[in-house]
Amino acid sequence: MTSGTATGTEGLALRDPHTPDPTLDRPADYLHAEHTLRSWFLTTDHKRIALLYLASITAFFVIGAVTAGLVRLALVVPDGQVFTNDTYNKLFTIHGVVMVWFFLIPSIPATFGNFLIPLMIGARDLAFPKLNLASWYVFMTGALFTLVSVVLGGVDTGWTFYTPLSTAFSNTWVVPALIGVTIVGFSSILTGLNFVVTIHTMRAPGMTWFRLPIFVWTHYATSLIFLLATPVITVALILLIMERAFHIGVFDPAYGGDPVLFQHLFWFYSHPAVYIMVLPGMGVISEIVPAFAQKKLFGYKFVAYAAIGLASVTFFVWGHHMFVNGQSDLASVAFSVLSFAVAVPSAVKVYNWTATIHKGSLKLDTPMLYAMGYIGLFVLGGLTGLYLATLAINQHVHATYFVVAHFHYIMVGGTVLAFLGGLHFWWPKFTGRMYIEAWGRISAFLIFIGFNVTFFPQFILGYLGMPRRYHIYPPEFQFLNILSSAGSTILAVGYIFPMVYLVYAIWFGRRAPANPWDARGLEWTVASPPPAHNFLSEPEVPEMPYDYPIQARETGRQHT
Amino acid sequence: MSAGAEGAEGVGVALVSHFATVEQQRHAAVLGMWAWLLTELLLFAGLFLTALVLRLLHPEAVQEAARHLKFWIGALNTVVLITSSLTMSGAIQLSRLGWQRGMVRFMLATAALGTLFLAFKGYEYWADYHEHMMPFLGGRPYALESAPASRLFVNLYYVATSLHGLHLTTGIGILLAMTWQASRPGFLARHQNRIEIFGLYWHFIDLIWILAFPILYVVNR
Amino acid sequence: MARMSDDERRVLRAHMRVPVLTAGALLGLLGVNVALGATLPFAHVWILELMVATAMVVTILWVSMEVRHEPPLVRLFAGIGFFWVGILFAMTLTDYLTR
Repeated sequence: MTSGTATGTEGLALRDPHTPDPTLDRPADYLHAEHTLRSWFLTTDHKRIALLYLASITAFFVIGAVTAGLVRLALVVPDGQVFTNDTYNKLFTIHGVVMVWFFLIPSIPATFGNFLIPLMIGARDLAFPKLNLASWYVFMTGALFTLVSVVLGGVDTGWTFYTPLSTAFSNTWVVPALIGVTIVGFSSILTGLNFVVTIHTMRAPGMTWFRLPIFVWTHYATSLIFLLATPVITVALILLIMERAFHIGVFDPAYGGDPVLFQHLFWFYSHPAVYIMVLPGMGVISEIVPAFAQKKLFGYKFVAYAAIGLASVTFFVWGHHMFVNGQSDLASVAFSVLSFAVAVPSAVKVYNWTATIHKGSLKLDTPMLYAMGYIGLFVLGGLTGLYLATLAINQHVHATYFVVAHFHYIMVGGTVLAFLGGLHFWWPKFTGRMYIEAWGRISAFLIFIGFNVTFFPQFILGYLGMPRRYHIYPPEFQFLNILSSAGSTILAVGYIFPMVYLVYAIWFGRRAPANPWDARGLEWTVASPPPAHNFLSEPEVPEMPYDYPIQARETGRQHT
Repeated sequence: MSAGAEGAEGVGVALVSHFATVEQQRHAAVLGMWAWLLTELLLFAGLFLTALVLRLLHPEAVQEAARHLKFWIGALNTVVLITSSLTMSGAIQLSRLGWQRGMVRFMLATAALGTLFLAFKGYEYWADYHEHMMPFLGGRPYALESAPASRLFVNLYYVATSLHGLHLTTGIGILLAMTWQASRPGFLARHQNRIEIFGLYWHFIDLIWILAFPILYVVNR
Repeated sequence: MARMSDDERRVLRAHMRVPVLTAGALLGLLGVNVALGATLPFAHVWILELMVATAMVVTILWVSMEVRHEPPLVRLFAGIGFFWVGILFAMTLTDYLTR
C-alpha cells in the first residue's frame, strides 16, 4: 500500500488497527465518533454538515464543469454544427445556473466556513446546529428542483433569467428551475444567519473582534450579504414565477410592465453575490499567505475593514450590469462612478497580501501555489472590471467574451483557486491525512496554465467583438476559440487530479499532525481530525492572530 | 428578552450543551430572530418597490386600481392585527410573570385574531372575485379593462397580500404548536424565551401589514 | 379574572399598561390614516399618510418589539434592514426618476 516516496508508512487510515482507543484526554475524532448512515444524515455537528456540503457541491461542480466542456467543444467550429441551437442554449444555461447557485455561492462558506468558523473562534458548534442541518436539506431540495428541470429538458434563458425571454418566449422548463433557485436562496440565508449570530455570540474568552482571523471577518461580511441581498432576489424570482404562471404583467412590456425592474431586483442581489463568491476566497488567501510566508499578516485591520467595506460598497454598484439595457443615463453615470470605489478595498487586500509575502520566509507548497495564482488572476480580473465599469468601454464590449473572460478571472481565477487552495490547506484538518505534495503542485500548475490558456484568449475575442451566448461565429475567431478549448482540456486534467489524490489520501495518506504547516490559529491547536466537540477545554485567546515568527514593520515604528 | 424575565419564579431557559451560558444562548436567539426579520423586511421591500415603480410609470391606472381595493376591509384588518399584537404582548408579559394559564389564553386569543384576519382577507378575495377584480385569471373578464396597466397593480396586490397571508398562516401554525407545548407544566422554566422570540416574529408580521396597508390601499387613492 | 387577588390585579395592570397604551396609539394613528385616505382632504396627502405609517412602524419597533430595552447590537440589527431598503429604493429611483 505504501507506493511512492511521499506516501507515509502508517498504512490504512479508516480501518487502521493501530488507532488507539479513545480516552478522556484524546476523545474519538468527529469522523469516528459514530459510524451509522443516520449519524451523517441527521448530524448537527458543523464539521459533518460541512462534509455533506462538500460532497454535494463537488457533484454540482462536476455537472457544471462537464457542461462547460461541452460548450467549449461546440465552439471549436465556427458554424455551430456540434449541437443544435437549443441544446447549446441549454448547455450554457445549465453551466451558469449550476456553477453560480449550486457551486460558487455555497462553495467556501458552506464547507470551509461551516467547518472552520466554530474552530477558529473557539466554539463548540454554530449557534443553531439544527438550522445548519436544515440549510443543507433546503439546499438539496432546491437542487432537486433544478435537476428535475434539467432532466425534463432543460432551460435556455441563461443564468440571469432575463424577462421577457424567460416569461414570454422560452418554451423550456423555466418554472422548476426558478423554484429551485428560489429555494436555494433560503439555504444561503440560513447559513448566513447562523454565521452572523455565531460570530457575534459564541467567541471564546479573549477572542475579541480584532483577534479574529480574517477568514472569520470575510465570512461575517459574506453573511451580511446573504441576509441583506438574498431576499430581494427571492421576491424577484417569485414575481417572475407569477409572471410566467399567471401573466401578472409587472415585468411584461405588453401590459405596460417594465423588464428593467426585474434587472434592478435581480442585480441588487446578483452583484453583491459576486462578493459572496469572492470574499470567502479572500479569507482563505489571508490564512494561507501568512502561514506559508511564516510572517504576520500585513495591515490586519485594513484587511478586516476592507472586507466590510467591500460588502457595503457592493450594494451601490449593481447598475453597471445595465448600462445598455434602458436605464437612465444619469443612473448609469452614478453606478459607473460608484463602481470604481470597489477597486479601493480590493486593492487594499491585494497590497496587503503582497506586503505579507515581502521578506517572508516562503514555502511554495500546494496551498501557497494556489494563493499566488489567486492573487495574480484576481488582479487581472479586477482591473478588467474597471474597464467594464467605464461607460464608453462597456458600450463597446458589452455582452461579448470580454465580459465572460472578466468574470471567469474573478470566479475561477479567484474563487475556485481559493477553494482549491483552502481544500489543500485544510485537507489534513478535515481528514487527518496528508495528500501527496508532488501531485498537489503538479495540478496547481496545470490549473494555472490551463485557466490562462482557456480564458485569456476570450479577452481578445471579446475585444474583437465576439458576442457571448452564440455558437455560430465568424470564422476569423476560430483560432482563438480552439486555443481556448484546448486550454479547457488542460484545466479539466488539473481538476481531475485533486479529486483522485485527495480521496486517495483519506485512506492511504500519511497521518497528519495537528499543525502540519506550522500555522497559527485555534483550528491548528486541536487534533487532526478534530474531536467531535472541537475543544477538550474552552480555549482562551491571549494574543493577536497571525503571531508568526516574522513580524512586519507596518508604520515605521518597530514592534518589539 | 430583557425586562423582568429573570424575576419570576419558575421562569427561565434551559442551557443547550453547545452554549457556554444561558445569557449567551438567549442573546443568540434574539439576534437570530432579528437577523431573520431583516430578510423578511427586504423580501417585502422588493414588492413595495415594485408598487412604487408602477405608480411612477402609470399614475392614473394605479390610482384607479387602488380605489377599487376594499379600503374598509383593509382598515378593519389592520385593527385586528394591532389587537393581536396587543394580546401577543400580553402573552409575553404573563410569561415573564410565570402566569402560565393566562399566557396560554392570550396566545389562543392571538391565534384567533390572526385567523380572523385571514377570514376577512378571504372574504375580501371572494368579493374581489365576484367584482371581476382578479385580472390574473385569464378566462375571466376584468372590471378595469379600460385601464390596462391597472392590472399590474392589482396583481401585485395579490402577490403581496398572499405572501403576507402565508407568513401569517405560518405564524398561526407555529403559535398553536407552541401554545400546546406551553400548556404543559414546566414549559416556562425551560423555554420562556421562545415566547419572546416568537413575539418578535408576530409583531413584525404586524409591522409588515402596517406598511402594506397604506402602500397598497391608502397612498394611491 | 374574577378570582384574582388585588395584588395580582395590580401586577397585571402594571405589566399591561405599556402594551395597552401602545395599541391605543397605533389605533389612533391608524384612525388618522384611514380618515385621510377616506376624505383625501388636500393634494399630496400621501406624504402625511406615509409619515403616519412611519410613526406606526417606529412605535412597533421601539415599544412593542422592545428595541428600547435591547443592547446596541440588537438596535443596529433592527435598523440596518431599513437602511438597506433605503439603498434599494434610492439607487433604483436614480433610474426611474431620471428616465
